[in-house]
Amino acid sequence: MSDHPTASWQPMQDGNVFYRRQQSYSISGKLPNLGDCIVAGCRHGGPLAMMRNHTKLIALGRAAPIFSKSQIQVYSPAGEGLLLFSWDQAKIVRFGWAGDERLVVVNEEGVYRLYDLQGDYEQHSLGSEAAEVGIIDARIHENGLVAMTGSLQLLDVKGWEGGKPLTLANPGLSEPPLVWTVIPPDLTISRHVEVLLSVESTILTVDNLETVDQRLSRGPFTHMSPSPNGKSLALLTFSGMLWVVSTDFQRNLAEFDTGNVVADGDVRQIAWCGSDAILVIWDALALLVGPFGDTLQYFYSGPTFAITEPDGVRIIGPDVCDFVQKVPASTVSVFRPGSTSPSAILYDAWDNFSNRSPKADENIRSIRPELVVAVDEIIDAAGQEWEPLWQRRLLNAANFGKAFLDLYNPTDFVNMGKTLKVLNAVRFYEIGIPITLAQYNYLSPSNLIARLTSRNLHLLALRVSSYLSLPPDNVLKHWATAKILKSKPVPGATGKDADMTGDEEVSRGIVEKFEKLGGIGVSYADIAKKAWEVGRTGLATMLLDHEPRASDQVPLLLSMKEDRIALQKAVDSGDTDLVYHVLLHLYKRLPLGAFFRLIEDGGERLAPASKLLQVYAREQNPDMLRDFFYSDDRRVESAVLCLEEAGRMQDSAAKANSVKAAQKFFSEDKERSFEAKMMDEYGRLLAFQQQLEKETSDKIQFFGLSVDETIRVCLLNGMAKKADKIKSDFKVPDKRFWHVKLHALAGARDFEGLDAFSRSKRSPIGYEAFVRHLLEKGHPKEAATYVPRCDAPKRVDLYVECGEWRLAGKECKERNDRAKLEQLRKLSPNSMIARELDQIATSMK
Amino acid sequence: MAAPTTTAEESSPPQTGLNDVLDVSLLKEIARNSLIHALNSVNGGKTLVLDPSLAGPLSLVTEVSLLQQHGVDKMFWLEAGPLAAVTTNIVYLCRPRITWVKIIADQIKRHARESKKHTYTLLLVPRISTLVTRVLEEEGVLGDVTISSYNLQFIPIADDVISLENDNAFKEIWVDGDETAVYDASQALHSLQKLFGLFPRIVGKGDCAARLTDLLLRHTSLASNTGPETALATSVKFDSLVVIDRRVDMITPFLTQLTYEGLIDEVVGIKNCHVEVPVSLLNAPSNPAAPPSAASTSTAPAPALAKEKKRKHHLSSATDPIYAELRDLNFASVGKRLNRVARRLDDDYKARHQAQSVAQLRDFVGKLGGLQSEHQALRLHTGLSEIIVPFTRTDVFNKSLEIQQNLLASYDVPGQVAAIEELLAQGADMQLVIRLLCLASITSGGIRSKTLENIKREILQTYGYNFLPLLLSLASPPLAVLLPNPLPASTPAAVADAKYPFVALRKSLRLLLDGNESLDELENDISYVYSGYAPISVRLVQCVAQKGGVLSNPAGKQKGPEEDTDASKPAAAKVHAHPIVGFKGFEDVIASIPGKTVDVVQQGASSAGGDVSTASLLPQRDQTTITAVFFVGGCTYTEIAALRWAGRQNQGRKFLIATTGIVNGASIVEGIAGVGRAATGTKDASL
Repeated sequence: MSDHPTASWQPMQDGNVFYRRQQSYSISGKLPNLGDCIVAGCRHGGPLAMMRNHTKLIALGRAAPIFSKSQIQVYSPAGEGLLLFSWDQAKIVRFGWAGDERLVVVNEEGVYRLYDLQGDYEQHSLGSEAAEVGIIDARIHENGLVAMTGSLQLLDVKGWEGGKPLTLANPGLSEPPLVWTVIPPDLTISRHVEVLLSVESTILTVDNLETVDQRLSRGPFTHMSPSPNGKSLALLTFSGMLWVVSTDFQRNLAEFDTGNVVADGDVRQIAWCGSDAILVIWDALALLVGPFGDTLQYFYSGPTFAITEPDGVRIIGPDVCDFVQKVPASTVSVFRPGSTSPSAILYDAWDNFSNRSPKADENIRSIRPELVVAVDEIIDAAGQEWEPLWQRRLLNAANFGKAFLDLYNPTDFVNMGKTLKVLNAVRFYEIGIPITLAQYNYLSPSNLIARLTSRNLHLLALRVSSYLSLPPDNVLKHWATAKILKSKPVPGATGKDADMTGDEEVSRGIVEKFEKLGGIGVSYADIAKKAWEVGRTGLATMLLDHEPRASDQVPLLLSMKEDRIALQKAVDSGDTDLVYHVLLHLYKRLPLGAFFRLIEDGGERLAPASKLLQVYAREQNPDMLRDFFYSDDRRVESAVLCLEEAGRMQDSAAKANSVKAAQKFFSEDKERSFEAKMMDEYGRLLAFQQQLEKETSDKIQFFGLSVDETIRVCLLNGMAKKADKIKSDFKVPDKRFWHVKLHALAGARDFEGLDAFSRSKRSPIGYEAFVRHLLEKGHPKEAATYVPRCDAPKRVDLYVECGEWRLAGKECKERNDRAKLEQLRKLSPNSMIARELDQIATSMK
Repeated sequence: MAAPTTTAEESSPPQTGLNDVLDVSLLKEIARNSLIHALNSVNGGKTLVLDPSLAGPLSLVTEVSLLQQHGVDKMFWLEAGPLAAVTTNIVYLCRPRITWVKIIADQIKRHARESKKHTYTLLLVPRISTLVTRVLEEEGVLGDVTISSYNLQFIPIADDVISLENDNAFKEIWVDGDETAVYDASQALHSLQKLFGLFPRIVGKGDCAARLTDLLLRHTSLASNTGPETALATSVKFDSLVVIDRRVDMITPFLTQLTYEGLIDEVVGIKNCHVEVPVSLLNAPSNPAAPPSAASTSTAPAPALAKEKKRKHHLSSATDPIYAELRDLNFASVGKRLNRVARRLDDDYKARHQAQSVAQLRDFVGKLGGLQSEHQALRLHTGLSEIIVPFTRTDVFNKSLEIQQNLLASYDVPGQVAAIEELLAQGADMQLVIRLLCLASITSGGIRSKTLENIKREILQTYGYNFLPLLLSLASPPLAVLLPNPLPASTPAAVADAKYPFVALRKSLRLLLDGNESLDELENDISYVYSGYAPISVRLVQCVAQKGGVLSNPAGKQKGPEEDTDASKPAAAKVHAHPIVGFKGFEDVIASIPGKTVDVVQQGASSAGGDVSTASLLPQRDQTTITAVFFVGGCTYTEIAALRWAGRQNQGRKFLIATTGIVNGASIVEGIAGVGRAATGTKDASL
């Protein structure tokens, strides 16, 4: 059984507050001597990065691992080496950690790189000006950095996307400050980064607008450190006075003279423990200074390094990794000696219960009204414990107390159990993420999973995410990309085949895994993109094949210059918009000839693309379309295009030319002789119309009319000769000509002309058409004159339609059709006609 | 909605009662809400610039007052020329067509030149298009415009018809080869599935139908891939989706429609359920208190020809019971029916003489409003009939009917072609001549090359040489409805394979009824709608959903003694709908028609698979299921009427008709020719 939790506690402020030092990991011999290195630690239980400090001499032959000059080594808090990389660039001025566990390394040439834990990096620059004057120092916070240039200007970079650096207000320095620090933008009131510079005896506060001299006289300062919540600032003066002020320098919070402490050498570091205590570190001693000047001393065997956490401080010593924090309230409440809080009593009750002591019941009874609070507090206390044993004991106690409650929502209890299981898993020394509950809650589970995947701990990440019922997509995606990066094309492979098999294997592996684990939401396109970025085009194509969303596939295919496949996929998707996307992209990128060839070679499968291109070009780019048809020898389409253009043209000469061009195209295709002939006629018609217009000195509009209309206009304007000429020139059939002429003359009410025309020869359309047309146009009288020339049996009815009842009667008489006459009489509209019909009837006998 | 009163009157319209099972007005609600949402995304007062082709569909979804409530100060048509907007915000609402985008770009540039400050929002229907961004980029105004989308999908145009109201779908798909309409349709159908669940079975005929089905399945599988919460369950309301490709049945739209609604469409033209009629038909002169709702609809400027002012009227069976009664009738019986309605109305009016007591009088006054609106409707329909009757008496009309009937019977084809030539000589409408000619080509497998060339020449001479592209389009592969016989040796195989087996179909699908039956006897078969010809498309649907109806007239044997419709027959006498088993039994017939055949069973995601599939195979007796019929490329009013007839003959199955738009032969031919009916419009837009 491990020690009681209180064993690591130490009281402060007369026993009102406790601080505890817990050993997270034992790391003896795993790290190099911290005194010889420049160290940067990542918050929230993150890793440490270190580099040899070149200003120090190192004795050879020591046991601890040491590395050569220009190398940076990254260790987990448990002392496991995570990454080692060499630096081949200009001198490093500073390195530190970004919020997502990427190591930021800034060099003197104004270049900074972001290394992930796999050693892959992104590189950004601080701009050409920075490169010129050089960077002498930098401060890195979670969401950006501030660099100091050689000309003592400050450059602020927000975020890690390589944004353009912003120059802060000029602090007007003549020499580099003794120390300086930044308060990250999310902790300041203005939400912009603030830089604090220690200059002579005072401190300058610089932001993007102005530089403020705080007019202090206690300087110069040797150390400066803002608290994790950004509200207070710890300063160490030259004389060894530790001074804590609010960051606006309005309030004096504490003072402590470190000169009285017996310690070797200088102060190495000051760090905050949470936001209310300060750790001052000498070579072998760490002194915790509380808000009221009380102190606790921790001794180490060698140089240490401290990393401030929001709820405590992590101290890396030569042999151990410790976590020092103020004991959380709930834990104090449960375990403080002599505590009579409900949670303490409940814990006691459970203890008695498990020892089979009847006092348990008595205990429970005494805290009955506050049992809910007690249970909640114990659950929280369980989360604060590092040792699984005590976690279990506390949860058991909570469970015990819970049983006495009628209505208790167990969600918190269940969640805490799950959370602790996850926390214990990641705290395991091989994983080495000593994260506390408070940090975990602050960061969110998905962030933790991301940290696991960035360490390539995919299996654990997958288990954690399925345990917490989070979608496995991100893990799988990271896994797949990692797999692609790892699986270099088959070693020693020669030729393309080996490459292909390697690709196939990887692709199959990835797809199988996804299908097995249900990573259906994972976008294959994203993974394929990664594969393409590392130059595995074949693999990328294979993976893309599994992407069901064509809209995701196509853009990557386009950027991979897989034009044909991209177009093919777009066409297959049936999404015309996607096809347009590809077409317009290719049209811009490829030379016109290659573009056309791509579409033409696609044949039947790419036909929809070709059609869409035509739709687009017809409206927006007719010239391109003309070229397209021409290059593909599409005579008919070319001709149609010409004809369409002719339809839009106003100018007669241009129109005639277009028609001629169309005729030419048609005539080049021997299947289209009919169309060619028609176009020839069209051309002749236009010419004839132009001539007509000239003859009528442009008074009458002919141009653009159809053949029939031209005839009609000629007739209406008394140009019968011309009409006849058109008839013969264009071989207009007699029937149609007669109809046209009939309509024209009737329309012009030229009944004499019509009569003459009807007698010019025997009508090829009969005379009933005359009657009917005249009737339709409302000329019954004139219509009646043509009835006698119609077929005999129809005459009676036609007469009736013309309203000529008497003539109808007469007709009946002539044909001796008594029945019809009788019928007429019945239909007769008025008595007068009836009488007349009667007369005829009688005369018939 | 329709209350389930069992004591239906004698004269009650033969309502399908689809709404009891499926409420399509939900779609209208969705369309309306998303429009409001789209408009509200632009803050403050705004000027709305509207694509004229969207005005019709929008008017079915919303009304001007609603737009005004949501900040629309003024509306303009989207048309070339400067735009004088008062408000800072300008919202363009249009389909993603290049012409529109160019106009928009032009207007924006003009404003920039005049240094007027506006913020532009472009709402694209139904979705954002790369094409538009590209054109805007080329015009250099992309940065000034916020582009978003207004997803207008199915609009209910009757209680059993939903339409995408895309007038150009036919031309885009089969002439331009632009299958955007198919893709949009698949998305719209997918939205339908999201609302009502997966179609348990999809049956389709035709290449585009196959493509549509394929896309729909892909959407479904994507939806189930992204997570279990988006996966769809199988619908309990729908039993299947039947997709019919317009290309599969080109004969039907080329025929003259003979139902009341169909004839109105042929003669007057119905656009987005609105018909333009003389004002006098709508306003009762003696009745100043006419419902002002009609007045709120727009006043379109009268075409120069009409002496009287015309006004748009919304033809809707919901507000006009007489219309519901008339729309599916063969025009021959419309007069009789109108007469009966008039007489009934008269009797109802006369009831006031019998009113003795005050209570009776009050009863009568209560009914008066209904009577008056019915009276008004009667006036409208009588007026419409009066417009149509002279048209049906014309020589051209009767001759064209005769030609159609003869062609359908394959009687003396050369003679019919000669008759078409005759019509041409008489100067008949271009679309009519082309329709008849195509009909002749399809039914007889091509027209003799020499004759065809002659007619083509005459067409070009009569109507203008600029119609040559039209003739070429009609003859070229995807459509191939105007072919010479024999085919020239060089024709692509696709055309030769696509030869339409009309003569065989006529027999196997019982398309043509024997002439010796009178119209009244026909009235219970779907061939009633074309006076003796059953539309192939509807027969194909019957092959899936009403197999008995294809082989023999289901109502024929059990005709009521004197009833002329089977609406009043005892419901028990009707045949109960059989389960959907695809084209089973008609495989050979279906295979003989060119185009792919699809038949897919969709499994719902969450619900226990086996359980559902057996349930869909054996529907409960008492449960009415819906068969959705989707027409790719549009359907005619007459086909809708025929499907309604078919639906009434069965028990336990209703049809929901979905289409890309309403077409008729004229709109198809004119669409391809690019000479749409003259669009009317003023600068100030309204719905």
